[in-house]
Amino acid sequence: MAEVDEATMVALIGHKFPGGTRRIEHWENWLLTDCAGIEQLPDGLVHPVSLFHVPIQGAGTSIADLFELGHVEGAGSVGLDGYDWEYFGPLQEEVDYAVEGSVLEVERMTAPSGKLYDRFVFSIEMRSPDGVLVARVTNHWRFRREQ
Amino acid sequence: MSSTADVGTEIPPWKMESVDPQRMKTMAAILRDPYPIHWDHKSLESLPTERVVNQGPLNLSYIANMLMAWQGPASIRRLKVNFTGWVLEGDEVTATGTVTSIDDVADERHATCDIRLARGDKDVVVGTAVVALSPTS
Repeated sequence: MAEVDEATMVALIGHKFPGGTRRIEHWENWLLTDCAGIEQLPDGLVHPVSLFHVPIQGAGTSIADLFELGHVEGAGSVGLDGYDWEYFGPLQEEVDYAVEGSVLEVERMTAPSGKLYDRFVFSIEMRSPDGVLVARVTNHWRFRREQ
Repeated sequence: MSSTADVGTEIPPWKMESVDPQRMKTMAAILRDPYPIHWDHKSLESLPTERVVNQGPLNLSYIANMLMAWQGPASIRRLKVNFTGWVLEGDEVTATGTVTSIDDVADERHATCDIRLARGDKDVVVGTAVVALSPTS
């Protein structure tokens, strides 16, 4: 596990992702929905689970970038604590969504096992081309500091 | 889709009979997820499993599938969950849910539901969902 001091991690609070736009193309939604194990949705609707990767990528970052930001690498170094995903309107294929977000919270914690980890919380919003908020995600990750 | 919903209504369960590692590989490519525990058995040597680990979003997708089958593909308004265990290749998991309250919000009726995904007797995802009820509910 990569070593990083607590102050370096806490300094990430407020870090803004570059931002950008993200279009969910039909092929991508088709594969995503197939991975979820159901028939394709009607009317170009995007599977709700798209709110994991689409906001991250649309905000101009990536899972790999977030791991680098959190100074983690290797199997067992990352855990998912929870998601809070809000849907304010239907997500559609082939729409250019404006995406922006930031790191909300970072806190060094001790697990019941006595091992250190950093609680890492970030939030990202998606807006339609006319500026209407369509989705917000707040993701809680765990970056482990001891195996 | 179900035609009624009241407090205490149990949502028809949704089952994934066997979690497919090939789908994990496709999912990793879509997500651009470099975390090898989802697709490389060799990466598991330091972990207490020999089977690759399903992505958290895929675990949540099974709950979303249940909710959409119940109230329609555009019905989900919120998913708030905690991940409490791993799902591994070959596992059978079942999504279930129960309505805990119903509220009128703007021009919609919302059902708040306790939701869970379980592998056997063990919960692996737990949380709450808000679902817009179809007009016939």
